Amino acid sequence: MIMMPLASQAVLATGVIGTLSLGLMRRPPALALRAVAFIAVSCAMLFATWTPADAFVSPILLCDSKTIGWLYLIGLGSLPLALWLDGRDDVSSALFLGATLGMSLLAAAANLPMLFIALEFMSLPAYLLVARSRNSGRTLEAAIKYFFAGGVAGALFMLGLAMYYADTHSLSASIVLSPLGQAGATLMAAAALFKLGAFPLNWWLPDVYDAAAPEVSGYLSTAMKSAAVLFLMRLCELAPEARFAAYLPAVGALTAVTGSIMALRQERLQRLFAYSSIANAGLLIIGVGAWALSGRSAEGVSSILFFLGAYAFMSNGTFAFIKYSGLETRAQLKGRGAAMPAAAAAFTILLFSLGGIPPTGGFIAKLLLLWRAVDASLAWPAALGALSALISLAYYLGMTRELWFDGVETPAPPPGRGAPIVIACAVGVVLLGAAPWLMASLGGLPK
Amino acid sequence: MNMPLTMLWTLPLLGAAVCALLGSRAKYAALVFSAAFVGATGMVCWLQSSDAALSALNEAGPSLAYGISYRLYADSLSMGLIGLTAFLTLVCVVASWELDVSAGYWACFMALASALTGVFLARDLFFFYVFWEATLIPMFFIIGLWGSSNRMHAAVKFFLFTFSGSVFMLLALLALVSAHHRATGVWTWDLAVLDASTLGAAAPLVFWGLVLGFAVKIPMIPLHTWLPDAHTEAPAAGSVMLAGVMLKMGVYGLLRIALPLFPVISWEALPVLGVLAGASTIYGALCAMAQTDLKRMIAYSSIAHLGFCLLGVLSRTSQGLVGGTLQLVNHGLTTGALFLMVGFMYERSHKRGLSDFGDLASRAPYLAFFFGFSTLASIGLPGLNGFVGEFMALSGALAALPILAFMGVLGVTLAAAYALPAFQAVFWAPAGPGSVSEKVTDLNLRERALLWTLSGLMLWIGLAPKPWLAWFEPALRGLVR
Repeated sequence: MIMMPLASQAVLATGVIGTLSLGLMRRPPALALRAVAFIAVSCAMLFATWTPADAFVSPILLCDSKTIGWLYLIGLGSLPLALWLDGRDDVSSALFLGATLGMSLLAAAANLPMLFIALEFMSLPAYLLVARSRNSGRTLEAAIKYFFAGGVAGALFMLGLAMYYADTHSLSASIVLSPLGQAGATLMAAAALFKLGAFPLNWWLPDVYDAAAPEVSGYLSTAMKSAAVLFLMRLCELAPEARFAAYLPAVGALTAVTGSIMALRQERLQRLFAYSSIANAGLLIIGVGAWALSGRSAEGVSSILFFLGAYAFMSNGTFAFIKYSGLETRAQLKGRGAAMPAAAAAFTILLFSLGGIPPTGGFIAKLLLLWRAVDASLAWPAALGALSALISLAYYLGMTRELWFDGVETPAPPPGRGAPIVIACAVGVVLLGAAPWLMASLGGLPK
Repeated sequence: MNMPLTMLWTLPLLGAAVCALLGSRAKYAALVFSAAFVGATGMVCWLQSSDAALSALNEAGPSLAYGISYRLYADSLSMGLIGLTAFLTLVCVVASWELDVSAGYWACFMALASALTGVFLARDLFFFYVFWEATLIPMFFIIGLWGSSNRMHAAVKFFLFTFSGSVFMLLALLALVSAHHRATGVWTWDLAVLDASTLGAAAPLVFWGLVLGFAVKIPMIPLHTWLPDAHTEAPAAGSVMLAGVMLKMGVYGLLRIALPLFPVISWEALPVLGVLAGASTIYGALCAMAQTDLKRMIAYSSIAHLGFCLLGVLSRTSQGLVGGTLQLVNHGLTTGALFLMVGFMYERSHKRGLSDFGDLASRAPYLAFFFGFSTLASIGLPGLNGFVGEFMALSGALAALPILAFMGVLGVTLAAAYALPAFQAVFWAPAGPGSVSEKVTDLNLRERALLWTLSGLMLWIGLAPKPWLAWFEPALRGLVR
């Protein structure tokens, strides 16, 4: 079956309209709202399967193999939140689908202004989604912080685009770059790094991930992060001569190491995983740098795709565990393994995977990215990336220890609902580790 | 079944799954599967010995991606170490029979056996690394859940330390595979195909990356600090597997990967590596001398013993290689027996300090006999297994670099200086005021049967080492300089 191009985007847009129309009813049926969100996201993924790559190219939107790969990633990252959504809150459902639509547009953006529009399209609903996700002052403050950080990123991008246009008189791929154009490209890349949470542009990220509801943090750290990575990759493609690519491995290495060091001393679980997501973003930036510097090969894309796919399971799974268990701090984690053995075992698998220990998907993901770096002769960034993985093991193992080896110290609320989501994520990670060829074959890795 | 090697590592893995599902009756499954594992290993060894040259068995699958493919390889070195793994796993299951532990305990031991077997079988370096790291997970839980008082700290330290070493090993492997691809255009992780000469100037860096990963595992000083904690805090059976098999992975990595790939660089590195190995024997013995905890003393003695193995292996002479490799098995048997006995004493008295016991020889004569027997084997009494391995390793070292043999001989002397006084204090000296000797009843039939088997093997290797040496020799012939 062959779909028309942009079918995924269309089904998400229909979902937004559907949820908003349901919201017009006096008492919207809870099941219908959740069903619309879930069906829209899964159909978006399904339609991506049937869309032929490179069949559609226009000056503004395109549909290449990256578009399709990222539509999967965005769907994979969004599905858990679609399941967690509160069926009575039509506005949040619409915001969620709107942000996802923005991401899917970003996946198809073919020139710089469209990238900007898609960036804002996915960001604006996300600010509101964070603000509405919990009823507390801290969450509102975090949402405002997020909004300002996003605003700065947008402004940087616009400024960079103006300088780039002044130099090249082009809004899409262009070759010759004067210092003015170089500066413009660098500013645009800075906007992408802002969104990704690269060092030192990530001061906003831990606050946001900590204050938002855990399932929303899971969504931001997977779907949103995947989109931001593609944003950076598209910039590298549109400005192939830009010099910022040469600095990406160093930025990534710094981000990875600082992220994992900062996570060491965190007591609050969501904050810890926020720093852990910064560390992982660092590895991704190293991967993007290696890809951009070594001829932008298909292998580089599949490595990044695999990492993001595995990370979608790992991060969504860990945040789902926080949501399910209701635990907030590492002290509360102590001795809780026995109270919820299945979900805790799944969480442990996710922790091992995040730590990059075989045989899990997280190991293959880290291996592929670091390997691309070694292959591109980026020995130092690869070594620092490995160091970051080592440091991160201290807290992943520490949490395993608290969960299983320690005795109960502080009282904690009884677990809520949603254990199947945690378990499904763990199963996904194990499958990716035991049979990475399943996903690798999609990306066309060389034999 | 025409995939005997695949069966070897999947059989214990299946056992782990069955143990986890059975719950309270898991130990019966563990016994059945570990016995079957010993049987299967014996069968494969027999299959191999049907050929007079002991040629290697191979299994290969298609290339999956980046030249990674499922390839197994078993020569007599692999099979010897898998035999040790299978035998010690069965010993551990029988030794833990009366412990009150959950199904996870038995499942962890079976999973550990499976991963260790995979390490010794893998010919594809990707699978080698996956199995290598997979051994950490069950051992992490064995130490952390069923260890003694300071177990949690020891478990995390063990994991972090050994994982840090292996990360460098992984980077080195990646560099090797990438260099091979750049030079030949072929992706492969096959140990038999990879050629270190494609590395060019990066070769020493890759060699030392590999050695770092192996040296942490062995452990070679100064990378040994995880070992005393892990061995002391692990449950008795966990210490047996740690000392008996897991330390051997490092030496196996040298024998299988680092030395064949880098014959010249590794020879040039002999002064550094050899002196570190010699220093390990002396330093391990000196540290053992200073211990007041019986288990910690045995842990430090492991560092010294692995130093002997390394001296032999690094000498790259025929007698050194074979002796050092035989010493791997010897150390598994003697140290395994000693750890088991300390474990039996700890189960009965909940103490393991040297000063907590006294006059045990009159209360527990069987224990005293086996402990004395294993101690003598461990310090290299002629007629027992330790002598054969140490003598051959030292004569190899003498031929390669005399100073190393001198360091080794010093280590042998020091071994007697810590082991015999410890034996004397626990078994012969009069019981002190705080003594818990009266709680230590003598070994029961099950425990005696275990130790008779272990001691019998020690005596056999000591009196008639020839079949054992002949078993390992063909696999090591290619490494002789």
